Amino acid sequence: MSILQIENVTKRYSKHTALDDVSLSVPRGSIYGLLGPNGAGKTTLIRVINRITLPDAGRVIFDGKPISDEDIYHIGYLPEERGLYKKMKVGEQALFFARLKGLSRREALTRLKEWFVRLGIESWWDKKVEDLSKGMAQKVQFITTVLHTPKLLIFDEPFSGFDPINANILKQEILRLRDEGATVIFSTHNMASVEEICDHITLINKSHNILSGSVDELRHRFGENVFEVTYGGGSSAFEAAMSPLAELMGTVEVADTPYHTSRIRLRQDASVRQSIATANDAVELRSFREVMPSMNDIFIRAVEGTL
Amino acid sequence: MNKIGIIIAREFNERVRKKSFIITTILMPVLMLGMMAAPTLMMLFAKGETKELLVIDQSSIIVPNLEGDDELTFAPSTLSLEQARANQDVFGVLWIGEDIVDNPSNVKLYTNSSSSMSLEENISSQMERIIERERLKRYDIDNLEQIMKDVKVSVSLTNFRNDLAEEGKDEEATSSVIAYLLGLVLGMMLYMFLLIYGSMVMTSVIEEKGSRVLDVLVSSVSPFQLMMGKILGVAAVAVTQIAIWGVLVCGIGSALLPALMPQDVMQSVEAVQAGTITSAQAGIDADMLSAISFATDTGRLVMMFVWLLLFLVGGFLFYSAMFAAVGSAVDSIQDANQLQTPITVPIILALILAMSVFNDPNSPLAFWGSIIPLTSPVVMMARIPFDIPTWQIVLSLVLLYISVVATAWVAGKIYRVGIFMHGKKPSFKELLSWIKQ
Repeated sequence: MSILQIENVTKRYSKHTALDDVSLSVPRGSIYGLLGPNGAGKTTLIRVINRITLPDAGRVIFDGKPISDEDIYHIGYLPEERGLYKKMKVGEQALFFARLKGLSRREALTRLKEWFVRLGIESWWDKKVEDLSKGMAQKVQFITTVLHTPKLLIFDEPFSGFDPINANILKQEILRLRDEGATVIFSTHNMASVEEICDHITLINKSHNILSGSVDELRHRFGENVFEVTYGGGSSAFEAAMSPLAELMGTVEVADTPYHTSRIRLRQDASVRQSIATANDAVELRSFREVMPSMNDIFIRAVEGTL
Repeated sequence: MNKIGIIIAREFNERVRKKSFIITTILMPVLMLGMMAAPTLMMLFAKGETKELLVIDQSSIIVPNLEGDDELTFAPSTLSLEQARANQDVFGVLWIGEDIVDNPSNVKLYTNSSSSMSLEENISSQMERIIERERLKRYDIDNLEQIMKDVKVSVSLTNFRNDLAEEGKDEEATSSVIAYLLGLVLGMMLYMFLLIYGSMVMTSVIEEKGSRVLDVLVSSVSPFQLMMGKILGVAAVAVTQIAIWGVLVCGIGSALLPALMPQDVMQSVEAVQAGTITSAQAGIDADMLSAISFATDTGRLVMMFVWLLLFLVGGFLFYSAMFAAVGSAVDSIQDANQLQTPITVPIILALILAMSVFNDPNSPLAFWGSIIPLTSPVVMMARIPFDIPTWQIVLSLVLLYISVVATAWVAGKIYRVGIFMHGKKPSFKELLSWIKQ
C-alpha cells in the first residue's frame, strides 16, 4: 500500500524539461530516499508533490486520491535552503507556520511547548531568530515542519549543517515519527545516511527515474558475485584451490592473527555452495560472505550509465 | 482564519509593532504642525535688534511722517552729513535732499553695516506714500485727509459655486489658497505613501526570497495568496497610519480649535458655515476664516479622509503589486533599481501633473491625469479640494480598482515564477515571457 504515487509526471520549463515521464511509488511507513546529482530534477519533483508547481502531464496520487490543495495539510516540507524570518521571535514564528498548516492557535501552542521541551529549547521562545546559531535555527525549522503531524514528511538534505550529536538527535526523531506512522521522503546526496535509514530509493538523473527499489533488493541486484573469505593456512593453497572457480582480486594478512582475507569474484558457472566446499577443503575457513555494493557505488554506476 | 488572513496578520503585526512605525505615526502630525508654525517662529527668531537710523531731512517734509517700528527707528538729526556719518553707534544715516518731492531720487542711505532688502523696502515705501500725499496737497483739495481715508480700500473676493449650490442658497467655494494647500498636502501624501509603502513591499519580498523563507511558505500557501497577503498586510498598516492621522486632525479641528479660537471668530465661522454670511463680510481675514471654517467642519474632513483612504488603498494595491513582482524577480535591492524604473516614473510624473492642477484644476491635463489609473491617485487627491464633480471621483475610483485586479493578476504571474529564480537578473523580455507562461 503506497501513500504517494507519482504517475508519468512531466514538467517543462521554457528552456528545459525538469521531469520527463517520472513514475514512482512510496510505500506507507517507509523511509524513502530520493537520490540524484544536482540539477537532476529532485527539487522540481518535491515541488510538484508539495503543489508549489503543477505538473504539465501526469498525476500525483496521495493517500489513494489525486492530490488536492487540502492534502498539503498532511505534508511537512523541510527545504534544503532553510529559512526563517530573522527579525521574528522564535515562538511567534513557529506559531505562524503552524497556523498556516491549519492548526488552531491553541492546538499549535500545546504542541509547540511539547516539542520545545523535548528538544530542550524552551528558553529560545522569546529569542529572535537572528540571535540563534545556524544549528539552533535548524532545530526550530525542523519543529515547524513536523508540528502538524503530517502523514508525509519531505526532508531535503536534513542533516546538512548539524553537528554529529544534533544530527543523531534529529535522526532519532525522524525514526520515531516513522514509527508513529509517518512516511518520510529524503532527498540527499549523502549515501551513508541512505544506507543507514532508507528502505527504498529512487534515483533520478537528467529528469528521468533511472532506478527504483528497496535498498536491500538493489544492493543484492547489483552485487557482482564478489565474496570476502577469511581463512587460516597458506594463502597460496587457497589461491591454487580457488583459481578454477573464481578470479582472485587480492589478499591481505589480517593483522596480529595467522589469518588471511581474500576477495574473489566467482565465475559465471561457479556456485556458492561448491566454492565454499572447495575453500573448506583447502584451508581453515573462518568466514565467507558476500560483498554488497555500497549505495555510493550503485549511485555512481547508475548515473554514469555503466550498470 | 484563512491563510491570507494569517499572512496579513503577520505582516501587519510585524510592522505596527516596530518603533519606527509608532514614532512616525505620532511625530508626523507634530512635524506637520511644526512646519505650519515654522514661518511664524522663524519671524520671531529672525528679528534682530532695533536699528536706529539718523535722518537728515533737508526738506523737513519727510521726517515728521516716518513711522518707526520694532525693527527700525528714525531719529531726526541736525548734524551735518559728515558728522553723522562719523557716528558709529547708529545703524546708519538717511540723507534726504531739499527737493525730494520733485526729485524722488535725491535720497541717500549710508550704513555702517550691510543693509537689507526689507529695510530698504520699508524706507522707500514710506517715502513714496509721504511724497504722493505731498504732491496731492498741491491741488488744494478740501478735506484731503478725509478723502484719502474714504478712498482707501481692500478687496476681499468671495467665490460662489453655481454648480454645487442647492436651490436658493449660495454655496461658498473653498478658498483657492486653502484648496491649493490642501491639494498639495494630499497629493504629496499619496505620492509619498505609494513610494514608501510600495518599496516596503518590494524590500520585504526580496528579503523573504533571500532568506529562503519562501520555500517554506509556498509549501503551505499559493504564491498568489502569499503576495496578496503581504500587499494587503502592508496596506492595512498604511490605512492604520492614515486613520490615526485622520482622527487626530478631525479631533484637533472639531474639539481643540473652537476652544482655542476667540469667541467672535468662532461665531463668524459658524455663520459662514451656515451660509448666513460670506467669509468676506465677516470682517476677519477671508482666507484665515475659510481655513478655520474648513478645519472645524468635521463632515467635510471625514469625507476628505474617506476619499484619501479609497485612493490610497487603490493606488497602493495598483503599484505595490508591481513592486512585489519586481522584488520577486531579483536577488538584491541593487538589482531592483533598473527594473523598478517603469514603476517609479509614473508616480513621479503623477506628482508633476498634480502640480499643474493648482493652475487650473479643470484643465484637460488635470482631468485625464486624475482619471487614468497610473497617475490618478496622486492627481485626483490634488484635485479633490477644488470641489470637482463627484462623478469624476467615482469614475476615477472605478477605473483604478479595475486596474488593480489586472495588475494583481499580471504581478501574480511574474511573482509565481520569479520567486524561484535565482542568479541572473531577468530582462524585461524575460518578465514578459513569465507572464505568458
